[in-house]
This record gives sequence, C-alpha cells and structure tokens, in this order.
Amino acid sequence: MMKVLRSFQPTWDGLMASESRRDLILAAMIRVVGSKGYKETSVADVIEEAGTSRTTFYKHFEDKHECFLASYEMLVEQVFAMVIAECDGAQPWLQRVENGLATIVKLFALDPELARTAVVEVAAAGAEARQLHWDAVARFTQYLEEGRELSDGGELPENISLMSAGAVSGLIFDELLAGRAAQLPAMLPDLLFAMLVPYIGPRAAAEEMRRVAAAN
Amino acid sequence: MIARSQRERLLEAAVRVVAEKGYAATTVADLTREAGISRTTFYGMFEDKEGCFLAAYDGIIDALVRRVTAAYEAEEGWPNRARAGLAALLEALAEEPAIARMALVEVGAAGPAAQRRYRAALQRLTPFFDEGRDYAPGGRNLPANTSRMAIGAVAGLISDEVIEGHAEYLPNLLSEVLFATLMPYIGPAAATREVAEKK
Repeated sequence: MMKVLRSFQPTWDGLMASESRRDLILAAMIRVVGSKGYKETSVADVIEEAGTSRTTFYKHFEDKHECFLASYEMLVEQVFAMVIAECDGAQPWLQRVENGLATIVKLFALDPELARTAVVEVAAAGAEARQLHWDAVARFTQYLEEGRELSDGGELPENISLMSAGAVSGLIFDELLAGRAAQLPAMLPDLLFAMLVPYIGPRAAAEEMRRVAAAN
Repeated sequence: MIARSQRERLLEAAVRVVAEKGYAATTVADLTREAGISRTTFYGMFEDKEGCFLAAYDGIIDALVRRVTAAYEAEEGWPNRARAGLAALLEALAEEPAIARMALVEVGAAGPAAQRRYRAALQRLTPFFDEGRDYAPGGRNLPANTSRMAIGAVAGLISDEVIEGHAEYLPNLLSEVLFATLMPYIGPAAATREVAEKK
C-alpha cells in the first residue's frame, strides 16, 4: 500500500532526511525479526519492509547484525521512555513498579513483534546483542533498588534486582515463545508478585497481587 | 556398537564446537572434523546442524537433570534438598563450561525449536521448587506460577555468570541461587537465615 502511494510521489524519498530513513530501516528490522526470527531475517526482507533500496541500507549499516544492534538500542530507548512517562516520581514505589510493569505488558500485548524481538530473538543475535539485552534489564531494574528500604528481611543479597528481573522475564519469555502475547496483561498480578516478593515478602506480595487482580 | 559410538562422539564434538565458535558460526564440516566422522555418516544420522544440536542438547539436559535429581532426593527437608540440588547443578556446569554455554547461552541462537527445548528443560525442575508450597506456611496462597518465577530468577543469575565467561566460578553462586529459590516461598528474612545457617 505504502509503495503504491510512494510511486505517485516521486519526491518523497528526496524529502525524507537520511536520519529518518535510517529510522524506517530500524523499525522494519524490529518488525521483521519479530515475525520471522533473527536467523531467518535477511537484508532483503528488511529493505522490502522499510521500502528503501539496498544502497540506502548499506549507506547506513555494514550488515544485518550491525543494523539489528542499532534497532535494538532504539527499541530499548523507546520502551524506556514509555515506562518512565508512566512512573511519576511523586508516587509511592509500589505504585511506580505496578505502573511500569503494566506499561510494558500492555505494549508487548499491542505489539507482539516488538516484544518477540525485545525478549526472545535478541538471544539469537550474538554476544553483543545479549549484552545490550542485559544492559537494558539492568537499566530497568535499578529502579527496584529503592524497594530495599521496605524490606524487613535484613541485608538483602546484592543481586536481588537481577533475581526479580529473571523471574519476570522468564514468565514473559514463556508466553511470547508460545505466541500468547495477548495474554500478558492478564498476567500482570503474577508478574507484580514476582517483582515485589524479594522486597516485601510472599504474604504482602500476594496481597498486592490480589488487589491488582481485583482492580483489573 | 560402532554406529553408537560415532553418534556419541559427534554429540560430544557438537558441545565443544558450539561452545567455542558459537552456534551461528558452526558448520557441519566443523562437526565432522571434530568428531572424526565422514559427511555421509553425519547425514546418515542427522538432517542438518540444527538436528544434531537438538540431540546434543537433549543429552546434556538429561544428564544434568539426573544429577540434580539424585542430589536433591538424597536429602531430607525442602531447604536442604533445594541446597543439594542447586549445588549439584552449579558443580556440574562449572566442571564443563562448554556444557554450561550450550545449555544456557547458545541455545538461544539455535532457533525456535531449541528455545522451546530450553524452556522445557527449565520446566523439568518445577517439581523440586513446588515442594516449597507444602513447606512454606501459607504456601497454598502463593501464585500458581511461583515455581516458574523462582526458576527464572535462578536461570537469570546462572546465565549472567556463564555469558560473562565465568562458568567455573558458578559454585560461588550457591548462596544467591538458594536465596532466590527459597525466598518466594518463605520470604526474604527466613531465606536469609536459611542461607546463612550452613554457609
């Protein structure tokens, strides 16, 4: 559809700044990898989806791998910005954790391709991509550190936020792998339990879980 | 007899080559060279690199689960059983870093079938975690997914270490993975006490 429109607007390509054409390619990479898988994705698939030429692709990127890394960085920035926008610093920590998590599951349910790229396919794209994934997880989980103040469990292990993140991402990974992205918002209460339990313990976390389940 | 030993040689070679080169860069030629078998023999046993990877993967997971099960069942009381099972897992992975890399890292690069195998492998540990529901006071009120969460936390901690190339130090992680296992069931305070008790 887009391609037909463009053929009637011969100046369209010329009007697009190269920066935004680069963004088009990055967005196409995220969609194609999310639907075909990283291994099966070719540069030809990406330029077809982006509606750009091969020459344009190689002007911006060395190869598929470099393009994927750039697209993953863009994806992380976008998700991060959306989550931060929903987490008002004035709210209590519990509320911010719930809002942040709710934002992510809603986004993933609305855009299963983005979700698969972000959580599942990134593992297929090599060591640098895995590092980007872990860096992103660490960036999200630093906001959990504040929960230590709520703990009555004494000194919590240093890696506590990594445990939370592992628990939550394991559940999300399973749903995405099974093609059930649409189910993720219904799992919000369980995911919230997983995120809170290291800090507030099973009883209080189960109460939060039931409160959120009743509210949704 | 000969056919069987060739297959075993090939599967062991696959673990070594994949851990060293990564799944994506591994070729069937690498596998046949490392195993000392012909291309014809390879294609007599497997359709492609992926088929060989999956067979090798099933083999290492079976061996790991057997070892963890034996250690777990030798102990009494859930926290002790969990500690023994986790210690056995960490030791097994530390002894063979190539197996650790294949089991936890390269499996992500080997396509959707391999990723499903990975999640299925983790699910095989569920019964060991679910015993915590009976052990913990109020354990029945915990979410049905509690074992999957705890397994995710443990897998995250271990994978992080293996990705960094530190598989041989995994036994040092015992306190943390035991905490991550016990904590969702008995709470952070009791988990901290339990971990400290037998350090």
